[in-house]
Amino acid sequence: MTEADPLIRLGESTCEAISGVLEMFAPGKIHAGELTVVTADRNPMESLAVPAVATSVSYINGVTGANVFVMTLEGARKLATAMMGMEEPEDPNAPELSELELSAVSEAMNQMMASAAMAISSVLGTEVEIGTPETKIFADASEALDVYPRTPHAVRAAFSVCGEPCRLVQLVPNAFVVRMTRALDELGSELAPPAEAAAGPVAARPGSVPVAGRPSRAGIPVRVWAELGRTRMPSAQVVGMPPGAVVELNQTADEPIDLYVNGTRFATGRLMVVDGNDWAVRIETVLSSSDTTNESQLEVARWPESW
Amino acid sequence: MARILVVDDAAFMRKMVSDALTRGGHEVVGEAGNGLEAVARFQELKPEVTTLDITMPEKDGIAALREIIELDPTARVIMCSALGQESKVLESIKLGAKDFVVKPFQPARVLEAIGKALG
Repeated sequence: MTEADPLIRLGESTCEAISGVLEMFAPGKIHAGELTVVTADRNPMESLAVPAVATSVSYINGVTGANVFVMTLEGARKLATAMMGMEEPEDPNAPELSELELSAVSEAMNQMMASAAMAISSVLGTEVEIGTPETKIFADASEALDVYPRTPHAVRAAFSVCGEPCRLVQLVPNAFVVRMTRALDELGSELAPPAEAAAGPVAARPGSVPVAGRPSRAGIPVRVWAELGRTRMPSAQVVGMPPGAVVELNQTADEPIDLYVNGTRFATGRLMVVDGNDWAVRIETVLSSSDTTNESQLEVARWPESW
Repeated sequence: MARILVVDDAAFMRKMVSDALTRGGHEVVGEAGNGLEAVARFQELKPEVTTLDITMPEKDGIAALREIIELDPTARVIMCSALGQESKVLESIKLGAKDFVVKPFQPARVLEAIGKALG
């Protein structure tokens, strides 16, 4: 593993998480672009398109560091408009954002970062909490250069939001890279498939799951789990559930079960026993990407404790 | 139909929640932008249901919830939180919140939570 690996992994997790949230606010209008590890001699905030609206969110425990999401003023206005369910901005030519538009952008950032923190905490195996968002407006690109504390590492990712260029900047201290590297190493050894399992009927071997996307992702360990069923109940009932309580699930015993890869429903299959006592899943159907909806990702992402 | 107090530090979220509640036939009797205001408005307005954001400046939703439940142990409070705050959500349920809604949410989900809290 090189020093850049944990940074790329961090960037990818964060980009996926925030794309998912943005996509809910402005369906079909979000495109994630190139992800770059910024070298020490470059400023990650350089050459922004202005006027720009930048919202920063710091982690408050678990991990130090911050994320800054920068949109052009036009992009921020279009996102706010989409979030309010409107076709056109209230005042498309206003030189500044209205209070409500700024609030919408800040809330989008809050939810994006909460989702990103969740993705990161699942890799680190520890809860990561975030602070409240801070929004700044830059009229000139030079204003952005010294506003945020410089960290030893930084990642930047390009986004297009409603056709406008946007940028995610992750300001990453050393301690974070060390923890991320350790967590990825542990994850790698935990998930490495034993050699003898290669010939078995176990299709759900985590190491063998093909990961869609760029070739650099092919070696990244992913979390794979099988789901027998689910249910909804009032939270008060969950808290008060005594030992011995029976929770009925929505699936019948003869239905196939679902296999998830990093929160996305990936395949369906049959539960089986191998080697006399190990659970395994035989894949029946691998779902196309259109079947793996945002909704299912969020549903699973809300079940945090074991991940 | 219930009298509801909406608490969130983001004006945008207050508008979204209030619009959804109003369209669902409820009356939004007040709004608050942080935990301090939330407790004051709760005492003043005595709403039937309060929706409470967790991450807020001044005083967060958990601290506000604790004070609201002390003032009125039968208060119906629904927590609104972004993803990744599960430990706080569980804490708030233990403290006496009736339900929680995860952002970003659909209006129907908010109305469902209100309906259950009233039921």
